[in-house]
Amino acid sequence: MNRATLTLLALLLICALSLVAAQQRARKLFILQEHAQIEERKLNQEWLRLEYEQRNLSKSARIRDVARNQLHMSPISPERTLYLKEAK
Amino acid sequence: MRPVGFSTTPNLVLRLPMWRSRLMLFLLFFVFMMLLLRAFWIQGPGNAFYEAKGVRGTQRELELPASRGKILDRNGQVIATSLEAKSVIAYNDTVPDDLATDKVQKLASLLQISEAELRKKLKEERKQVFLKRQVDPAVAQQIKQLEIPGIGLNNEYRRFYPEGEAMAHVVGFTNVNDKGQEGMELSREAELAGHPGQRRVVVDRLGRVVEDVAIEQLPQNGKDLNLSIDSKIQYLAYNAVKDAVEMHHAKAGGAVVLDTQTGEILALANYPSYNPNDRRYLTGEQLRNRVLTDTFEPGSTIKPLTISIALEKGVIKPDTNMVIGASYLVGPKPITDTHPYGNLTVAQVIQKSSNIGTAKIAMNHLSPEEMWDFYTAVGLGQSPKIGFPGAVAGTVHPFKKWMPTDQARIAFGYGISASLFQVARAYTVFARDGELVPLTIERSPEFKPGTRVLSAKTAIEMRNMMEAVTEPGGTAVKAQTEGYRVGGKTGTAHKLVGKGYGNSYRAYFAGIAPISAPRIVVAVMIDEPTGGSHYGGDVAAPVFSTIVGETLRSLNVLPDNKVKQMVLQDQSGPEIHTANVQPQHVALKR
Repeated sequence: MNRATLTLLALLLICALSLVAAQQRARKLFILQEHAQIEERKLNQEWLRLEYEQRNLSKSARIRDVARNQLHMSPISPERTLYLKEAK
Repeated sequence: MRPVGFSTTPNLVLRLPMWRSRLMLFLLFFVFMMLLLRAFWIQGPGNAFYEAKGVRGTQRELELPASRGKILDRNGQVIATSLEAKSVIAYNDTVPDDLATDKVQKLASLLQISEAELRKKLKEERKQVFLKRQVDPAVAQQIKQLEIPGIGLNNEYRRFYPEGEAMAHVVGFTNVNDKGQEGMELSREAELAGHPGQRRVVVDRLGRVVEDVAIEQLPQNGKDLNLSIDSKIQYLAYNAVKDAVEMHHAKAGGAVVLDTQTGEILALANYPSYNPNDRRYLTGEQLRNRVLTDTFEPGSTIKPLTISIALEKGVIKPDTNMVIGASYLVGPKPITDTHPYGNLTVAQVIQKSSNIGTAKIAMNHLSPEEMWDFYTAVGLGQSPKIGFPGAVAGTVHPFKKWMPTDQARIAFGYGISASLFQVARAYTVFARDGELVPLTIERSPEFKPGTRVLSAKTAIEMRNMMEAVTEPGGTAVKAQTEGYRVGGKTGTAHKLVGKGYGNSYRAYFAGIAPISAPRIVVAVMIDEPTGGSHYGGDVAAPVFSTIVGETLRSLNVLPDNKVKQMVLQDQSGPEIHTANVQPQHVALKR
């Protein structure tokens, strides 16, 4: 076998091995990406759920109930309100 | 005997005919050719079939979920949102037939279905079968841990409505497929709906994704919708209506609050209502958005409109004296008032809600055409264009068909029909100095120019006459609101039963506040009050008062009426200094 053939064979081997390595890397990255996407969706959902929970805790019905029954507050009325005017 | 070598034994010297070996050779060659051809066929022309078969085992179409848009109120508070739920799917070609009994039982109990039912579903011919939809994420996780081959979870959404009953008629609800069925969910379906995408993936035996093949369509999330409704005002309006319906043992009730400056609908409440979060009760009477879909004879609430036409023409003035009398005969049946009046001024006709007075003004000064024109100009007889499903138009018959008796009765609100919403809208004319305001259910907090239908002078005169309705001697003293000057008109209409009037009533009040600089229009309707009084002034006016008081306070509108102060006040006005409040001084606007 002459020299050129040997060099080409070596090159071919290197290419083949790097192809395998690249594919392996691609798979790994794909899995990472997949996980990241799932995480993103999860966090988005979590945020929506928390927003909903916050809303549920701050809805008018609950505020009214807590204010009247737990904190013993009464609704404001004009005769007990001071109206402030912005200074010019 | 001549010795014979092993290899030259005569037994082996067999003379076979040449054709036999040739035949063998040919046959061998032929079989190899066949194999070669077959291999060529599989690799070449017949390949598609095998490839498809291979792909079916490993590749799968997955849906990329898109969420439905949120619905928010004017302050950005969530009133409808989609949270993730899972649907459990069986890919029946992958589920093993000899699945362990304990796993089937466990799955059935997690899905809350019977084992027999589950087995039946797993035996279905279809490639994929929904085992259950909208499963709680926690339950879905347990199903995943069973690791049954061919049982997959798909993401889907479930709609939640934090405001529940109070907001139900405005928002509506969606069905199990996330499609709008009522209210804004239905009318804005096109904008709210998300469009799921699709991707092709390679999966392993347990259905785990190992490789992406292609994204065939990108998912598109739905747009959020900002409504003009204020959750707080909506809630208090709903409660005020609910309390009144319960107190008067009424059949139903409704209220609408409009912002006269921006034309926004701040609240639109109906009772009875329903909980849109609970799918079991999403049918029946309580779904009706009475404010928009029920028409009724508006009765006395029409009187300010009728009298405005005459004021506008200049044929009468608020202080014009009129002879009323005990009854007024137009057509076969005389028109009467609840109390007989002798003489009244035009302002008093409104204040006391005199049928005879209004009919006389219409018959003496107005033509049917003028009345029809004005009613139509303020939106009666046309369905309001606010994008609500089922908003009705009501009826105003063509004026050419009006007999004198019709004209006289239409003048005080019988023989025409309108929804509560239409009445409220017509009243924006008085609030906006003669302009009819275009209304919207979407948040748009800028001032809206209106269409002029009356002169400012007439509108202001009428507003003052309407204020007198709530003052001593008027029909709706109970509409008075602490701190604010209010004006409005009561209505008590006999309900039509078949072809005549039965013994049940509808009580209304439609009004404006504050009178000095109108900000809101509120209309209230209570259907069939039975406990005691059925008059608009007794039943609907107190609801109006509650809603107006709380709404104006929540909108930070300064009182325009005298209030007896209970807080100590320094005449010079103390300077208030805090970290984040600009220096201000106390001044009571009187």
